[in-house]
Amino acid sequence: MVLRLLQLSVLAFVTPAMFGQDFELPTDPLEGRIVFEEKQCISCHSVGGLGGTAGPDLSRDYFFGSGLELASILWNHTPAMNRKFRQLRMDRPKLSEKEMLDLLGFLYYLRYLGEPGSVSSGKRLIESKGCLSCHTIGGGSKEGVPDFRQIPRFSAPLNMVQAMWNHAPTMQKKFESNKVAYPTMSGEEAVDIAAFLQQASTAPTEQRLSPGNPRNGRVLFDKKKCSTCHVGEGKRRRIETGLVKMDLRKGVTEVASSMWNHGKDMFDLMKRESIEWPMLEGNDMADIIAYIYFLGFEDKPGQSEEGLRVFREKGCFECHERSGSQAALLASSGSLNSPFNMVQLMWNHAIEMEDLLITQNKRWPELSSKEMRDLYAYLQGKTKK
Amino acid sequence: MEIRRREFLKIAAGMTGGALLGSHGLDPMFAVPKEVIERMKFGPRVETWKNTTCRLCPGGCGMSVRLIDDVPISVKGNPLNPVNRGGLCPLGLNAVHSLYHPDRVQGPLIRKGSPGSGSWEKTSWQEAFKVISGKLNQLRQEGKSQHVAFLGSDEYGFMRDHIQRFAASYGTPNYFLYSKDSNKRAANFLSHGNRRAPAYDIVNSKLVVTFGANILEEGPSPVYYTKLYSHHNEQQTRYIHIDSRLNLTAANADRWISIRPGTYGALALGVAYVLIREELYDQDFVRAHTHGFDDWMDARGRRHVGFKSTVLSDYYPERVQEFTGVPSSVILELGRELGNSRPSVALCDQAALNHTNGTLTATAVNALNALLGNYEKEGGVYFVDEPPFASFGAAPMDGRSAQAMTQPRVGMPVEAFLPLQECSVKSFSENVLSGRPYPIDVLFLYGGNPLFQSVHHKKFAQALQKIPMVISFDSLLTETGEFAHYVLPDHHFFEAWDIVSNVENVGFTHVAIQQPVMAPMYDTRATGDVLIELARLAEGRVAASFPYGSYDEGIRRALRGVFESGSGAIASEGVGSRWLEFLKQRGWRIDRYSSFEEFWDRLTRYAGWWNPIRSKKHLRSLFQTPSGKFEFYSQTLENMIQAIPTESRDKALRRAGISAGGDTAFLPHYEPVSGESDLPLSMITYQSMSVGDGRGATLPMMQELFGHAVNRHWDSWAEIHPLTAQQYLVKDGEWILVQSSEGTLRIRSKVTEGVMPNVVAIPFGLGHTSGGRYARGHGVNPHSILEGKEDGLSGREAIQATRVRVVAEGRSEF
Repeated sequence: MVLRLLQLSVLAFVTPAMFGQDFELPTDPLEGRIVFEEKQCISCHSVGGLGGTAGPDLSRDYFFGSGLELASILWNHTPAMNRKFRQLRMDRPKLSEKEMLDLLGFLYYLRYLGEPGSVSSGKRLIESKGCLSCHTIGGGSKEGVPDFRQIPRFSAPLNMVQAMWNHAPTMQKKFESNKVAYPTMSGEEAVDIAAFLQQASTAPTEQRLSPGNPRNGRVLFDKKKCSTCHVGEGKRRRIETGLVKMDLRKGVTEVASSMWNHGKDMFDLMKRESIEWPMLEGNDMADIIAYIYFLGFEDKPGQSEEGLRVFREKGCFECHERSGSQAALLASSGSLNSPFNMVQLMWNHAIEMEDLLITQNKRWPELSSKEMRDLYAYLQGKTKK
Repeated sequence: MEIRRREFLKIAAGMTGGALLGSHGLDPMFAVPKEVIERMKFGPRVETWKNTTCRLCPGGCGMSVRLIDDVPISVKGNPLNPVNRGGLCPLGLNAVHSLYHPDRVQGPLIRKGSPGSGSWEKTSWQEAFKVISGKLNQLRQEGKSQHVAFLGSDEYGFMRDHIQRFAASYGTPNYFLYSKDSNKRAANFLSHGNRRAPAYDIVNSKLVVTFGANILEEGPSPVYYTKLYSHHNEQQTRYIHIDSRLNLTAANADRWISIRPGTYGALALGVAYVLIREELYDQDFVRAHTHGFDDWMDARGRRHVGFKSTVLSDYYPERVQEFTGVPSSVILELGRELGNSRPSVALCDQAALNHTNGTLTATAVNALNALLGNYEKEGGVYFVDEPPFASFGAAPMDGRSAQAMTQPRVGMPVEAFLPLQECSVKSFSENVLSGRPYPIDVLFLYGGNPLFQSVHHKKFAQALQKIPMVISFDSLLTETGEFAHYVLPDHHFFEAWDIVSNVENVGFTHVAIQQPVMAPMYDTRATGDVLIELARLAEGRVAASFPYGSYDEGIRRALRGVFESGSGAIASEGVGSRWLEFLKQRGWRIDRYSSFEEFWDRLTRYAGWWNPIRSKKHLRSLFQTPSGKFEFYSQTLENMIQAIPTESRDKALRRAGISAGGDTAFLPHYEPVSGESDLPLSMITYQSMSVGDGRGATLPMMQELFGHAVNRHWDSWAEIHPLTAQQYLVKDGEWILVQSSEGTLRIRSKVTEGVMPNVVAIPFGLGHTSGGRYARGHGVNPHSILEGKEDGLSGREAIQATRVRVVAEGRSEF
């Protein structure tokens, strides 16, 4: 049994090399929802209140982080989860590398989707932000400023922010001529305003957006010249340099609000640099933000030497290298495709591993996200051909 | 050639051990073209799966077909389809056998002998088109295009619109559906002001009461209901089924209440009595959104008696017990449980509706839902949105077709009828035989089998013989198709395109894709394309009726509207309705496709699209009645009567099956089954899931499965309660004679407590004289001895309203 377990564990590392490349962005992070349902995660866990109650709601902030931060949480609660599986007489699902990536990406992406807005709060904001000093609600358009009843009926709040973004240069002139302060939006204010405008609009059809496509967003990020100013730290191009520091725990509309808030400074800067204001259409803003969002999903590279220490201290060594045959297998195996390849293989052998640890009176080896990064760096180097 | 059960079992036994199609010795079970056999024998054995939609009944279940070297081998339910969610009925599981049926029509035929003689000659498509289009053109030139009629069945495919377009452009108002649901539609028109069938939120209801609705076997989509039913324990939903017979739905319910046939409406009104008397009804809903509950005064100052007064005076439990045979204490319990288990919902169908009083029964059940305030409420009744298909606009008409479309329709009664009534086989046959209002010269038959299914089969057979040109599109000949002059065989559904959308009662908007999983095996053509060809050959502007070059192109263009709407989602695994609702609340499109081609690719891969999120409807928009509310007192019906000349009104009411006078005529009320005879027993018929409306009897496995519950295979039986059997000296399993005023059946008895005393229950579906070697000559067709009664309000045949007597064969005379 032990031999078979070890064989499984080592075989798990026989995979093509990929580490060190840029993180491959998904085109539809919500595909992980299929894994979430198909593998019965939904039987115990909910997202946004939809799903089982045996486990925690995975849209809670605790379950937010980079891919390996999420993987660390998943790994560390394995024994508790296994107990639940046994209690509910459920089979513990096995996951492929893609399924693991989809699942973690989906959980990460949940916050992007945002929360529904409040119409009453939106109404108060419309009044307090000074929107009605230019716009009317049913009073008709004046001087080219649309009546809120006549604007398109945006279903996604982001659509409203995108429309505002496109009109920002015109609006800034209006603000200046009307001596109105540049309005900023914090928290979920944009979502609430959009909720109010959605029900105020009398347009017959709704305009909807799709949740963003990060891969397309990356292309747009360059195409719209965002990368001219927002260059970051080598391949980890976090949007930290320059104007904004984004908290990606927020919904997409809140991220968009941050973009809007820095619009005035940006407008001035672009004017000085003779850069054209980037107009966004269709799903552009959703895609760009999805790209920015997924930069936070990628982990920093780990350190191989630290990984070796983890490998030994956590007891992996005991099974995976002490036995001569296992060490030989590990050394001769193919390299790992990606960190998610490692996580997937760890997940799939966790049930046998737990049994072994229980029979040997050993504790479950918890791993922090840093330890996971380091472990991956070590194993990736170890198995590299 | 006919096959007996013994031969079937021998052949089936020979097949075990992994015999594949094309192996030796399989005839006559399968007929597989040589080319397919060769592929099976020598191919590389590559396995693939392709999704499509089952068309063996109207249910529209998603089906995954297993192919080896592109040859269909077996099927399973498509787990991605939200209607059947991986389930399939026994008939669906035998779809492959229907493909390889040895008696499929393999090319166009022309009849040379008398109907039913089986004397057919092959002809070519070109010759058939030449003759038929010649006749169609001749009629149009003579200004008689209305002399052409189409008769179809209840299907939910694209074909209905397709035929309608052809009929309008060619110029005939005579496109009829041989419908099983006209009672429900008529009742909905009276109560709601529209004929749309609602859906019932069974998932969120705490109590579901089914009045004769055998939803697990006979409903529009039994597998859909079976899937819902299978979760009722975890949902904590209670089910109560009311029926004269312990059918599959009753057996699976928490409680079965047996009832005399034809008295379901009285029971519903007895339940309404309890709800009103005990103030268990939704007073806010009734006050704001209904008309005619309390006594009222009209605009001319006339006082009217309301529903409440009528029910309280006429339908107290002890009186209802006299009608129904249901103990008054049970009626009281049922009313209390329905009123106290909110949300709770009531629905009715088959056994409750197929009587002379079926429409009134349905209005009484509608009234229960109104009393419970169920409309647009969770756990109640709601209306599903139509799929956003692209519109092709109205079919173009020239002067000839426009003039012809104003002519009266041949399928409608000629005099003193209410416009509530739909076409009936009876009216159609009578009018064809009398030549009123004009003769029918060409009849196209697409789907359905009235000669086997209708109680008016004798008249219909006479009518068919009088029509100079009858064209059938049967791919496997039916009793009706035997009367055709030409058979232009359709593809099997594994070989053709179609779509099935919004199957009745299914609780969400959906479109299922039927697509070819293989190339046609024989010289058959898609009926949709045959009509396009006939339109092309027709004179005038008929060719313009189809703004697409082929039937499958029409489907693709219709679905472009779904793509452009941005609503709903491809039915892909794991995307449940609650998740879609989660996205919608946040303003996101549910699914994303960068182009129509991508949408189409995914749509055909998964074979379905759905939108479980209903648009929120205001209660005021639900009802298109004169009052704009749910009408207990039907002003629609009253207005129809007022529109009839005074001297004919009584006759019209009688013809509609309404004997009650005054305001009661326009309220839900109980009318005893009309035309009662002195025969002592009621005969009821029912459909099984395996054989359904008779189509399943064409397959040997379905014949084998038919009577598995009573150990009667390939044969019919008559169920009789032990008390009734004792009274008529009938023993279990012996041959008996069942006699009605229309004829006698010789059949074996099945003595069981699963049927109400004084009732004879006979399954429908066997007793074919056509339909291939497996169908012919097995069992009896109970419809052959049914009295020709109908529901006068809707025109629906009253197939549960025949009186009979029974006697053991040889024991004594009747």
